[in-house]
Amino acid sequence: MEHVDSGGGDYRRVIMRDYWLSKLFFDLQNPAAAAEYRAGRDTVLARYPLKPEVRAAITADDVATLAPLVNAYLLRFYFLVAGMPEAEFLRRIRAGGKSAHG
Amino acid sequence: MAELVGIFAASHGPMIVRSWDVLPSATRTTLTTAFAELGRRINAARPDVLIVISPDHWVNFFIDNLPSICIGVGETHDGPPEPWLAAFPHKHIVGHASLAQHMLERALADGFEPSVSYRLALDHGFCIPLWKANLDPLPAIVPVIINTVEPPFPSLSRCFDLGKSIADAVKSFPGTLRVAMLATGGMSHSIGEATMGAIDEAFDRECLQHLASGNRDALLTFLNQRIAEAGNGAAEMRNWLAAHGAAGARGFELIHYSAMPEIYVGCGFASWNALQNT
Repeated sequence: MEHVDSGGGDYRRVIMRDYWLSKLFFDLQNPAAAAEYRAGRDTVLARYPLKPEVRAAITADDVATLAPLVNAYLLRFYFLVAGMPEAEFLRRIRAGGKSAHG
Repeated sequence: MAELVGIFAASHGPMIVRSWDVLPSATRTTLTTAFAELGRRINAARPDVLIVISPDHWVNFFIDNLPSICIGVGETHDGPPEPWLAAFPHKHIVGHASLAQHMLERALADGFEPSVSYRLALDHGFCIPLWKANLDPLPAIVPVIINTVEPPFPSLSRCFDLGKSIADAVKSFPGTLRVAMLATGGMSHSIGEATMGAIDEAFDRECLQHLASGNRDALLTFLNQRIAEAGNGAAEMRNWLAAHGAAGARGFELIHYSAMPEIYVGCGFASWNALQNT
């Protein structure tokens, strides 16, 4: 019987990302950019035309709001760069993005 | 004619390097033993060239330009850019342009439309297995990137067929060359998702059974049904499918499997007896 390829679950799923959020997280892989970001977020954020609600979510470390807007690998990487402890990131992502304190 | 002298697969994960010193000693021993056996087998095959199939974890590509398949056709590639891989012993890695070009031509003839890169940075997906397997000497590398990081992905059967195309390219390459293949990534794991840290051991073990059975259709049917539930990292099983396709779905041998939540990965190591396919 010939195998019918449905492709692997949702492999053809088109996910619309937030471009400038993704670009910010991508750029922060550069160690110098990451260091600058840790020293002062506002200076770096000002270079990206982020939507107000996206910028607010970044400022609030709102994992739940950011998660669907960006690739999951970049999301995880960003919160490492931003200095969130791994255990806290896991707590938030597993709770749908909410911290233990809500 | 070139000869396909070995086909291998290994998981990768940043914490294998980044967290090595704080991993439980039993985990370190298990990983060291598995990588050593993988390396022993690759070294024993004495490849002149190693085709490595891995994802790109946002190093070479971004969502403004994200190919499904990319073949590295350059004479030289760069070592990993991740700061925590600074101790990786090769800043530059020799490629094999003529074999890569031949693979590209064969892929085009077989109905694929891969992109090409004349110089890739090889991230942890490539370099952790190369490093931990202690390949000596390090063969020339032909990197092949399959997008398993950001949907849409190439279909499962397409990845299997790509592996067959690569194997056919090796066998028709006009030159005396010993060539091996290494697929990296998988098995089940989840990164940056609500299920992060979960290992779907049932998925992994059933997948291994299907690989060993040699039944291509059963494997693809199983993966089509289950891969999306096994975590976003399970998409990297596409690389194993390419290796399986290169082997003609035959000769699979498990070297080691452990569910390792401490590194967030269902960790698998395998080889295929490529000689059975000749």
